[in-house]
Amino acid sequence: MKILSNFTMILLASALSGCITASIENDRAESTGLLEGETVVVMAKSYHQGNETEAYYIRCVEKALGRGAGALNVIPTQQFIDNLFPWFEPRTAPADTKGLVQLMERPGVPAAVRAMGVRYIVWLDGETERVTQGGSLSCAAGPGGGGCFGFAWWQDDSDYEASVWDLSDSASAGTVTADYSGTSFLPALVVPIPLIARTKSKACTGLAKQLKLFIVSEETA
Amino acid sequence: MDVAVRIPAEFHNFVHEENVLGRETWTIDLGASNASFFTQLFGYMFDNVIVLGPDDNALDYTFDALVEPTIEGFEFSVPNQSKTDAFAVWIRYRMQIFDSLGNNASTWTVSAYDKSQKEGMGGSKSLQRAAVLAMRDAAALILLQMDKSTKIGELANGPLDLSAIEALADAEADEDDSLSFGIFAIGGIDEDTQ
Repeated sequence: MKILSNFTMILLASALSGCITASIENDRAESTGLLEGETVVVMAKSYHQGNETEAYYIRCVEKALGRGAGALNVIPTQQFIDNLFPWFEPRTAPADTKGLVQLMERPGVPAAVRAMGVRYIVWLDGETERVTQGGSLSCAAGPGGGGCFGFAWWQDDSDYEASVWDLSDSASAGTVTADYSGTSFLPALVVPIPLIARTKSKACTGLAKQLKLFIVSEETA
Repeated sequence: MDVAVRIPAEFHNFVHEENVLGRETWTIDLGASNASFFTQLFGYMFDNVIVLGPDDNALDYTFDALVEPTIEGFEFSVPNQSKTDAFAVWIRYRMQIFDSLGNNASTWTVSAYDKSQKEGMGGSKSLQRAAVLAMRDAAALILLQMDKSTKIGELANGPLDLSAIEALADAEADEDDSLSFGIFAIGGIDEDTQ
């Protein structure tokens, strides 16, 4: 009975989560829109420019853009980089739209881009970091049993920015930013009850949702 | 242009093992990746590529230029060292270019770098990936700068004459100091010191 009660508490805790506040904004520079057959590719800004975006986050956004309501046609990042080698390696990737204009003048590049149908490049920048934490948790185990006692908490901030480049005119279409801040709690009374604020995961789905709206929207700047 | 590439024996089975911080041993096994890398790369860059083994006599073949790549340096860092969550690899290739008569036309050092975030509990796959990405970085450098740095394209017109070789050697000796700093990729080093 006690085991069932503890298990029920764990299930209940899994259904709960910590507190998250979110802010998503977009800054449109020009009108967008995606025609039939046109595709999008998600890239990480080069670490040569100081980017520390996690590989997991980029894959998450890539997947989220390609599924669900309003799914976009997404070219896998590695396929895009391989097909345009060496122009999107960390050392050679264009740092700004001026570099993009020069890149699109190189022989073979426009044809390769057309072959993949790429209309937009989404450059991701940002990271999730632990801002603060506190509390303490102690666990012990012995022949008669074990358990944890205490209370721990931590706050994570997930700040990401997506810059959207339109390859049809080699210009920036705008940016979408996602700022998620969440506090997780871990109280423990024999059994720890995690209340986790999944800020990175929420930032991924939130940013992808906003990007879908941004790219297919027919709004003008 | 027809180019011969002499692949050293180590390129067919490259294994780098290093003890880090006196505690853990890391091994990078690239197998025949380096041999495959240079064969594919030069196959793309030149009209015809002849692959020579370490013991093949180059005089038995007809070509415009002979390239002999070697690995001059191979270093890596792990998260425990760099206090980041990434594995980084630096590879330094040295390319010696000879004309069709065997005269040394130029020597070029290519320094490549890349990194891969740690994923999973271990790290060996991430380290392996960083090494492969560093090789891609080297490929990009070679594609973009080889002709400018080595003037290998000029060998398509025939072998160098001796007076030109001496002048080139003198020029390289004078320029050595100025060229030695220009190629290293310092992105990873900058991040380690931040």
